[in-house]
Amino acid sequence: MKTQLGYKNPALGSSGSFLPIYMCFTVFGILIGFNKAEFKIISLLMSVAISLVIGLLMVRILLLILNSGNPALKKETGNQFARESVSQGMIFVVPFTVLAVLAQVVLGWDTVMAFVSAAVMTAAASAGTEAMKRGARGIKNVILPSLLAFVVSTGWMLIVGLLP
Amino acid sequence: MDVAAQNKPTRIKTALKMMINPGEVVKQQMGKVPWPFSLSVSGLAFCLFFLQTGLDMFRANQISMTMVFIISGIGIVYGTLGVVLIASLAWGLSQGSQSSHSLGWTISSFALGYSATFVYALTGLVFSLALGWKTAVAFGITGVLWALRPNIFTIRAISGDRTAFSIALATLCGAILLFGWALLGRFGL
Repeated sequence: MKTQLGYKNPALGSSGSFLPIYMCFTVFGILIGFNKAEFKIISLLMSVAISLVIGLLMVRILLLILNSGNPALKKETGNQFARESVSQGMIFVVPFTVLAVLAQVVLGWDTVMAFVSAAVMTAAASAGTEAMKRGARGIKNVILPSLLAFVVSTGWMLIVGLLP
Repeated sequence: MDVAAQNKPTRIKTALKMMINPGEVVKQQMGKVPWPFSLSVSGLAFCLFFLQTGLDMFRANQISMTMVFIISGIGIVYGTLGVVLIASLAWGLSQGSQSSHSLGWTISSFALGYSATFVYALTGLVFSLALGWKTAVAFGITGVLWALRPNIFTIRAISGDRTAFSIALATLCGAILLFGWALLGRFGL
């Protein structure tokens, strides 16, 4: 008997849940907090809070972009297409989070922001591609999320630099 | 018009498209890309990545220029034989023999997934040579991370569309490649 790991049908597996995504952003926040030259609990707490806010904002803005860019599809599916697209696309942050943890904990690398940037860019582009697979029309569905990801990752880097 | 000349832009276009829309490339176009082309992309990608690593170490007076070229050569082996081994591991663990995709297709698709790595490595090399920056980590690692997405789509294709499994296996493959590079660095290679 063939063992099947993971779900085969994306539609069945996707409940539009963003919890794994928020957890990944929280983990990034923890890693960033421990990455500072001098560990301070206030930096760690601020980093976690900021990362979570960024994750929440990113999901909401992506939903807004996809819904406002595809009003007919939104009406047809009752918002579901955007939720599924964003949850399916942004799940791509998971492998980057795992690798970032391994890199920092096992190898002692000070490179978490490289993982964060790649995660955010890949996840946003994937969300756009997922939307197009579900019937969204126009390259704007990939370009606008990618632009958002660029702004988010750049802004995040700047904020990290300002942490105490 | 010469057939080879006609095919060349198509392969390069496919390689670039692998960065932006890997799902479509894996589903529809990988069959048309010959494996030597794909392996040359991954081989060059890691050659340039390792070259940057060597240049960073050279600038830190850790190794000689001869060693920089040796490291770049190791990068070619890493990007060809290493990718072949990783792709074979993924094909085996995904029970790929039961899918419609051959081991050769899997290796080719995995290798072409490193087209983003090549672009990042090339960009990093330009900055390294022109401005003297240390770019191995910023550009090299980022480039390797960008290959995760195409690899996930490849594994999905050979594993019967299992998303969670694909993400887990692609993470494992990415970890093996990154940490292999880190271990080589620790041994001064």
